[in-house]
This record gives sequence, C-alpha cells and structure tokens, in this order.
Amino acid sequence: MSTAYVVLDTLGIVALSENGDVIDKVIYSGDVDSIAEKLNKLEVGQPVDELINLVNKLKSAGFVRVVIENKELARNLSNVMSGIEIRSELPSKPGLMYRENFGSRYVREVFGMDEGQYMARVYEITVAQTRHKLKQVAEKRDLFIAQAISSVDDIDKILNLISSRVREWYGLHFPELDDLVKDHRDYMTLVSELGHRRNFTVENITKLGISQDRARRIYESSVKSVGAEMADWDLEPIRAYARIYLQLYNIRNQLTQYIDEAMSEVAPNIKELVGPLLGARLIMLGGGLMRLALLPASTIQVLGAEKALFRALRTGSKPPKHGIIFQYPEIFRSPRWQRGKIARALAAKLAIAAKADAFTGNFIAPRLKEELLKRIQEIKTLYAKPPARKPEVKAKAKPQGAPEKKGGRKPRHK
Amino acid sequence: MSSLIKPTGVKAHERFKGVYWVSFEDGSEKLATINLTPGRRVYGEQLVQWEGNEYRIWNPFRSKLAAAIMNGLKVMPIGEGTRVLYLGAASGTTVSHVSDIVGPGGLVYSVEFSPRVFREFMEKIIDQGRRNVIPILADARYPEQYLSIVKTVDVAYIDVAQPFQAKILADNADVYVRGNGYVMLVIKAMSIDVTKEPSETFKREIDHLKERGYEILDMVHLEPYDTAHAIVVARKSR
Ligand SMILES: C[S@@+](CC[C@H](N)C(=O)[O-])C[C@H]1O[C@@H](n2cnc3c(N)ncnc32)[C@H](O)[C@@H]1O
Repeated sequence: MSTAYVVLDTLGIVALSENGDVIDKVIYSGDVDSIAEKLNKLEVGQPVDELINLVNKLKSAGFVRVVIENKELARNLSNVMSGIEIRSELPSKPGLMYRENFGSRYVREVFGMDEGQYMARVYEITVAQTRHKLKQVAEKRDLFIAQAISSVDDIDKILNLISSRVREWYGLHFPELDDLVKDHRDYMTLVSELGHRRNFTVENITKLGISQDRARRIYESSVKSVGAEMADWDLEPIRAYARIYLQLYNIRNQLTQYIDEAMSEVAPNIKELVGPLLGARLIMLGGGLMRLALLPASTIQVLGAEKALFRALRTGSKPPKHGIIFQYPEIFRSPRWQRGKIARALAAKLAIAAKADAFTGNFIAPRLKEELLKRIQEIKTLYAKPPARKPEVKAKAKPQGAPEKKGGRKPRHK
Repeated sequence: MSSLIKPTGVKAHERFKGVYWVSFEDGSEKLATINLTPGRRVYGEQLVQWEGNEYRIWNPFRSKLAAAIMNGLKVMPIGEGTRVLYLGAASGTTVSHVSDIVGPGGLVYSVEFSPRVFREFMEKIIDQGRRNVIPILADARYPEQYLSIVKTVDVAYIDVAQPFQAKILADNADVYVRGNGYVMLVIKAMSIDVTKEPSETFKREIDHLKERGYEILDMVHLEPYDTAHAIVVARKSR
C-alpha cells in the first residue's frame, strides 16, 4: 500500500497510487525553453529538482517505495536519495493507466486543462526541445568544420606545390605535355599511370579518360618530344609523387563532402546563402558559429581581409570592401564599382543567417536569399555604369582589369 | 513538372477514410491525401485543386505506405483522428501523408534519431505548420526516452531499416499502444535473389511479433514500387 508510482509528463511529474489515483504532482514552472531543458535531462536519466522534491514529499508522507518507469533515472535517483526504495518498471501499471486515460481523466484532474490546450503546450515544448537538441549536436561541430576547411586550404597549397614540382621535373623528360594538359589532375594521372613517354599511345591515353582528339595530339608530340631521355628508375620517384597528388585530391573531396553535410546540420542558413565551403570559411574566420553570430555585418564583410583593414587604419588609406566573401560569385563576377555594395548587402544577410543558425535553428535562408538577389538586381540597375571619377582619385586609380588586392582569396577548384 | 496533365475528378478510396484517388485526363489514377497545410509541398509532390480541397499526390515510389495501399493493403488502421507513434520519421515524406489522413483531430508522434535528417524534418513538417505532428529526436530502441511526451496511441508504425525492428516495435507498443491497438512494420521481405524467397530476416521478424502476442492481419509486398520490402499489419490479442 505504501508504494507510489511516479509518471513523467511534458508539463510536470505525477505520483499515482497503484490503482491510478493521483497522490501528488509538480507542474513545471518557467518558460518553454527551461521546461524543454528539464525534459532533456530526464530523458537521459538525470533527476531534476522537481523530481527530487516530489520524492522527498512522498517519503515524508510515509511512502517506503517509489516506482519509476525510466531505469536510468531510477538508478541515478537512488544515488541521491536515502530512506526510500526506488525501483524501475517499464511499463508500470499506473503508468499505462495514466497514458491510456489521459484525455478522459488526467488532463483535467492534474493540469486543469482541456486536451486541446494541453496539446498546444506539448507542441510548443517538444518543438523547442527538439531545436535545443539539434543545436547542441551542431554546437560542437562548428569547430570540426573550421578544422576541416583549414585542412582543405592546406591541401590546396600542397596540391599546388606538388603539381608545379611534378610539371617541372617530368618536364625535363616530356616538356610538351605541360601545355597540352592544363588540368592538374589529368596531368598527374598520365604521369603516374604511364611513366615513360613511349607509353603515351592513343589507346593508353584514352583509357585514362581523355578524348580521342587530344590523345592523338599528345601522342604525336610524345613521339617528337625534345625532352631528355629518362630510365624507369629515374621516373619512378616522379610517378610516386604524382600518385600522392591524386590521393590528396581524393582526401580533399572527402573533406568537402564532410563539410557539405556538416554545414547542413550546423549552419543550414549560411550554407544555403553562400554554399558550404565559403560558409565554412566564414565560421573558421569568425572563430566558431557562436562568435560569428555575434559579429556585426560590417565585420563579417571584411573577415579574412584583416591585413588590409589594419593597414587602412594605420595609414588612413581606403578600408577593404570585402574579405573572404569576395569568393561569392555575385561579387567577383560583378564590375569593380558594384562589388562593395553587393558585399555590404551580402554581409547583412549573413549576419542574420548566422544568428538564425546559432540561436533559433529556424530555416529562413530562402527568404534571405530572395531579398539578397533582389538587392543585387537593384544595385546592378542603379549602378550599371562606372561612377564618374573625381580627378584626384583618377590619378591613383589602377588601370581597368588590373588584378585587385583586397585580401579576399580567389575561389579555387570550382 | 506538374499540372501539364489536368485532373478530371477525385473519389474517396473504397475502404480507407482520408485516402483519395485523383484521376487525370490521360486516364491515370493517383493516390492522394487532403493537404493539411494548403499551398505547401513536403517533397516536391504535385498539388491538385478539386472542389474546394487541395490534394497532395502520394507517390508510392517515395512512400512505402502508399506502395502498400497501391498493392491492395486490406487492413489500414490509420484513419481520421488516429493517434500514431511513427518510428523512423526521416525527413517526413510518409509522416506528412499520415498527418493529412489523421487530420487535426489525430496525432503523429514522430521519432527519428539522425539529427541530420531531422533538421530537414523540422523545416518540412514543423516550420510548415503541421500542428498534429510532435517531433521527437530520440532513439526508438529506448522507448523510455520519450515517456514525458507520448501518451497512448492507436497505432505504432516502424520503418527504421534495421534488423530487429519487430523487437523495437513491440517494446514501444508495450508502453504506448492501447489495448487492441495495431502495429505496422515495414520489413525487408525478399532476399535480393530473384527466386524471391522471403529472407531470413523476414521470418525472424514475423516470428518475433507472434512470440510477443501479435496476430498478423495483413501483409503486402511493395513491388514494383520497392523491390525488397513488405508491410505487415498486426494486432495484439489482449
Ligand atoms: C527508411 S528511412 C524511413 C523513411 C520514412 N519512414 C518514410 O517513409 O518517409 C529509416 C529512418 O530510420 C532512422 N532510424 C534508424 N534507426 C533508428 C532508431 N533506432 N531510432 C530512430 N530512428 C532510426 C534512420 O535515421 C532513417 O532516417
């Protein structure tokens, strides 16, 4: 007779007798988010204060035993309670009764609500709880993403080094190939697979995925090559190095795929707005999603151009108009005088997207993107022509088409 | 992609309330449900307006429950007002139609354990305003994790693409399905082998349900919509 059955509910905790009568209850106070947090704790078996208080009250009322349906919770609770036995049983009979007769009896008796009101509340809380969990999963992962994108950048540097080296080295043997095969990956594949230029038959080359036409041209110049003769023994280290290139290239692909998927989870709004890689670079430069979300748009606009920014502050020259976001196609493909304006518009949307990703988990990117594209259109019509230049500016201005130095990196491996 | 071929009529499914046939001018007939959130799509499905209602075409190649209905499922315990515990909600393709069918008076507790797909679920189902769906990011193997949330349901449905699904299903049903309630199991039915022998897994899963006191009421293979699966409907005899 002195056993109480504790049943968990979204809105509180209820103690029932063996035949389902309500002995006692606690109803959670506080806002939706704090209740959601409590539910998350209970779910993994952490007793919350409300539960401990309720069991203490049951103990004072003379109950010698409490039955809880969640095993882990029962175990952890018995570690912090004494003087009362705590057991677990799933499902418990009163638990079944509670759930089965909830709408017809308990919702009114325990919470004084009708079922519609109750469900509206449950909906709010579970949605908050789920968003909270999704955010938690994502939170730690932003730093993984930052490492992954840094690795991609490392690999790109190494790939560039290796390809220059291999081209130079293998060029001693078959110099004509350098101009004939501009794509690094094709070049490395040919070198590592075929080695000596006498192996460059049309058949061998096409087998590696190069068109008949180009294969013929490559074959012809291999026959007429002016390069130095090399023994297989001399070629082997070059081929091994070219293989490393191809392996690294594959790792790069795996990393970008990882970043793509992880960005969907961590920062879907940023990803939707600027793509996974640029988005990941912003998170890296911002020092994590949370910190990025706290930055003003004006800072996001020049992230990655710190050098230029500090130079500007020091010397009073013009501050940079864009940092890493220069990689956004709508910026680098636009005429120079539009870029700063587009960068500002993009940075403003990014600031909002980052906040949504970090704080709410809501997916608002389609709207942001639409507004952004509209604004870009506007800029393109309003500022279709280059601005008339003031005389002093003209003196300093670079010739049209000169490469820009804004600190933003050029997009690679597109 | 849609509305090139115009709808010519809608009729209720001969047995299942909340399920419809939309016919088209080319003579084809497609399964559909009434859109609970008019104007919104969940997975790129076609929307059809007919006599003041908006129908969502239910693609049997995308949803195994639709495939089962196309293939003559006889017992369909999900109808208007039903409360469902849906295990393996993924990004919500089937959940969305179940939500249409049960309507505002029903409820779909939707359990999924992959954060990646559940993010999509939140966008497609919750952000679009389906108020009869309760999202639960949890592992269906541990039904005690959602004790605070789920009340008694009429049907537990499982599609988690894992061995021992029958056990997971029955463990959940013990806690959450009302006496005389139903369970539905999407199950790997065929070996990949063309002889189409039911696989070991299939037998094991069915046997497990029987051992746990379930009576098998119906069983439908999903070919040609899905080459390797079947849906089993069972009921606890208690
Ligand atoms: C085949 S998909 C379900 C498709 C969905 N039923 C539909 O028709 O739209 C299987 C899903 O089950 C999820 N899953 C697998 N094991 C699970 C578990 N133990 N608990 C919850 N979800 C699980 C997977 O993450 C995956 O999203």
